[in-house]
Amino acid sequence: MFDLPIEGAQLMALEFGDIVDYFSVYTGTLFVFALLFTVLAIVSLPEKPMDIVFGGDAYYTKDIPLDLLRFQRFMAIACGLATLGAMASGDIFNFTLFSSMIGITNIGIVAAVRNRHVLEAAFQYGIVAMVATVPLFGGAAIVLASTGTLSIWALAGAAAVPLLAKIFLVLGVMGEGMAPFYIGKAEITRAPGAPYVLMIHVSSLLLFLRVVEIVLTV
Amino acid sequence: MSQYGTVLAVVLVAMAITFVALFRERDDLHRLLLTDLAEVVSLAIIALVGTDLAEALILPGLVVGISELMALSEVYLVKEGLRAVPERLMHIEIMDSAPAILAGVLVVYGIILSGFSGGVVAGCGILFWFFCKGHDEAFTLIETASGYAWALWIVAFFVFMLAPAYWLFAVMLAGGAILLKVMAKMALIGTMRGDRHV
Repeated sequence: MFDLPIEGAQLMALEFGDIVDYFSVYTGTLFVFALLFTVLAIVSLPEKPMDIVFGGDAYYTKDIPLDLLRFQRFMAIACGLATLGAMASGDIFNFTLFSSMIGITNIGIVAAVRNRHVLEAAFQYGIVAMVATVPLFGGAAIVLASTGTLSIWALAGAAAVPLLAKIFLVLGVMGEGMAPFYIGKAEITRAPGAPYVLMIHVSSLLLFLRVVEIVLTV
Repeated sequence: MSQYGTVLAVVLVAMAITFVALFRERDDLHRLLLTDLAEVVSLAIIALVGTDLAEALILPGLVVGISELMALSEVYLVKEGLRAVPERLMHIEIMDSAPAILAGVLVVYGIILSGFSGGVVAGCGILFWFFCKGHDEAFTLIETASGYAWALWIVAFFVFMLAPAYWLFAVMLAGGAILLKVMAKMALIGTMRGDRHV
């Protein structure tokens, strides 16, 4: 598809005017992964982390209150849906919108945890995510200004998108998905509630793989 | 260099200034405020394109920015353990006499305008009313109205797609619904005045 080796065969294309939502083997696989983890977030119960007391045999289980569980599950499902949207989108601006939605829901997953370290990390991460909307939307706007369209389908293979826009897109996704900022995330993942917190990693990984595809295509 | 290129360069300089400011700032609250500056820069880059499509893109960009700011403010409040409610709220005489007239005028004018701009104008009226007169658990009612208005707006879009012949009906429906929705959302800001839950 699009004469690109990473795309694989074309599976589906759905036309909405000039915007065409498509699935190649590559994006289809990413979509299936996102779907799988969204379903996991819907059906699974949170883990109960065990803390061992130093210097003794005692240990205790952290209990997760029901309202926290509900909120985390909702945010994890919302994050999964945003990821699904980002995987399926055929419009660069929609992709950037879904990316920033992933950024917001990632904060949301850990925001209800009453742990100062987690909240501190989530806040700093949120600042990065907010600042990253500048290159993210900026990249999409420069694509629109220089080519006159936002449709990945129309831009594919034309090599009309300037390098600056591509760099901006990748930078923005880095900020939203936190690809190189794992030090910030290490604190975030101290939050209890394993399958939901896992969604943070899955969404950013999938988002990064998708932006690689977009940058190579347009 | 084209006009677009020149202004883009200016905006990129503004972006660099924002980033330097964020880098140098150590206080968390000030950082949060500075991110708003970054948001304005990103909206400026979109606005530079200057087409109808760009205008349509600004709104979702703005919404995402505001929701991120709100989420981060919540996190900040919890993180810093800020719970105290302001004890003395501003109250001046004009806040007793003006709301009825001003809110009335704004709402009526907003309804005449209809659509997004009408929603904003009427919303300002109701915002002012709630701000001055206080409110009595109006949250649920406003949210319900806003939810139904949103559903009607979507219905109008389906009418556009499935039965284009009834476009006038769809335009009226969408215009009225978006008026209600924007108005409801704006009015909620007026209720956020020292309430226990905000």
